[in-house]
Amino acid sequence: MNFKEIQELIKLINKMNLTEFKMKDGDFELAVRTEKYLKTRTTQVVSSPAPMMQVAAPAPQPEPIVAAPAPVPSTPAPAKSEDASTPKETGNYLEIKSPIVGTFYRSQSPDKPAYAKVGDSVAVGDVVCIVEAMKLFNEIESEVSGKIVKVLLEDAQPVEYDQVLFLVEPS
Amino acid sequence: METLNTLFVGKVVREFPKLASTNQYATDLLSKSKPSEGTVISTPNQYAGRGQIGSGWESEADKNINLSIIFYPTFLPIRKQFQLNQAVSLGVKDCIAHFVPENVKIKWPNDIYIHNKKVCGILIQNTLTGSIISSSVIGIGINVNQTTFITNPPNPSSLKLETNHELGLKRVREVLCRKIETRYLQLKAGKIDELYQDYLHNLYRYDEMSLFKRPNEDTFYGKILGVEETGKLLIENEYGDQENFAIKEVRFI
Repeated sequence: MNFKEIQELIKLINKMNLTEFKMKDGDFELAVRTEKYLKTRTTQVVSSPAPMMQVAAPAPQPEPIVAAPAPVPSTPAPAKSEDASTPKETGNYLEIKSPIVGTFYRSQSPDKPAYAKVGDSVAVGDVVCIVEAMKLFNEIESEVSGKIVKVLLEDAQPVEYDQVLFLVEPS
Repeated sequence: METLNTLFVGKVVREFPKLASTNQYATDLLSKSKPSEGTVISTPNQYAGRGQIGSGWESEADKNINLSIIFYPTFLPIRKQFQLNQAVSLGVKDCIAHFVPENVKIKWPNDIYIHNKKVCGILIQNTLTGSIISSSVIGIGINVNQTTFITNPPNPSSLKLETNHELGLKRVREVLCRKIETRYLQLKAGKIDELYQDYLHNLYRYDEMSLFKRPNEDTFYGKILGVEETGKLLIENEYGDQENFAIKEVRFI
């Protein structure tokens, strides 16, 4: 693959709105991670209370956007097969995950208080956030009860299916 | 309370002389009770109506339709919720087309346009419990008899401005409930392809070359090919490349 072809390929990858792309052709290997990938990972990494978590992912270092032909460490993939709504224990904490792709909002509008802050108690059925998907606003109810110990996303950030939104200390 | 000749939508109408936001009232009601499906919260004077996160909805008192309908679309998988948007948008479009015979279109994802002007906004708020949509509040604002607008860009208009006729709000509301009920039952019966085809063929600028703008201000010519399951808009540009867009990734100009 020549330089121009690589350039074209990267353009295409950007356009396709991918998070990550890998290819291998003989000796030639190419791995690309987009800004979107870094955003998603960085957010999780920064907000993981690492010392407390037993199952914490090996913290990936921020990497250059294009890394070729370096071998790519396999990404700790979130358990896609699991139902998004199933609360899962991570170390001592329960997770509240997003059941849909969209934009995360902590409150109903910028002038309203957040539904759930660190230190707040939540009960099963309490609304903890909104995930907006194509102008449909989804209030997400907690399926666990306990105390919020971490909010993993900032207001108005994009969120993937099954992404962890909150860590909850069981009561 | 009033009744209406439908199966369930608008069988119960709770009408208030004024209300901050019908969607707010409906969501509060849902948090402490289980109103019957199809319950309508309505007011001729909504003084703090809401649009998208952080934006409002302007409505002059006694001139317009401001209402919210409560549904329990538990049959609909969360990832297919855009189908609910299609059904509702079509219902509202059908209502407006009942009074304005031509040029009524759905501007993706759910504004209603007459010609190039917006006459209606829809705000859907779902509550997700585990993997189901346990309830949905459909907020609808239709500009009926209002003739001057202060805010609400772009291009607000009303049924009166487009037709020169004043309409009875109660009559518009009755037609709206009937039309939405028909589309909701279509959705519930799984007539997804029918809904999708109707949505496409009533989509503003469907299958016609027109100008779009990206968030970085770049413009391009393209035509709308369709809408993906997630609700993303699929556009083919003038060179034949296809690309999908989420809200805020593309603007119609």
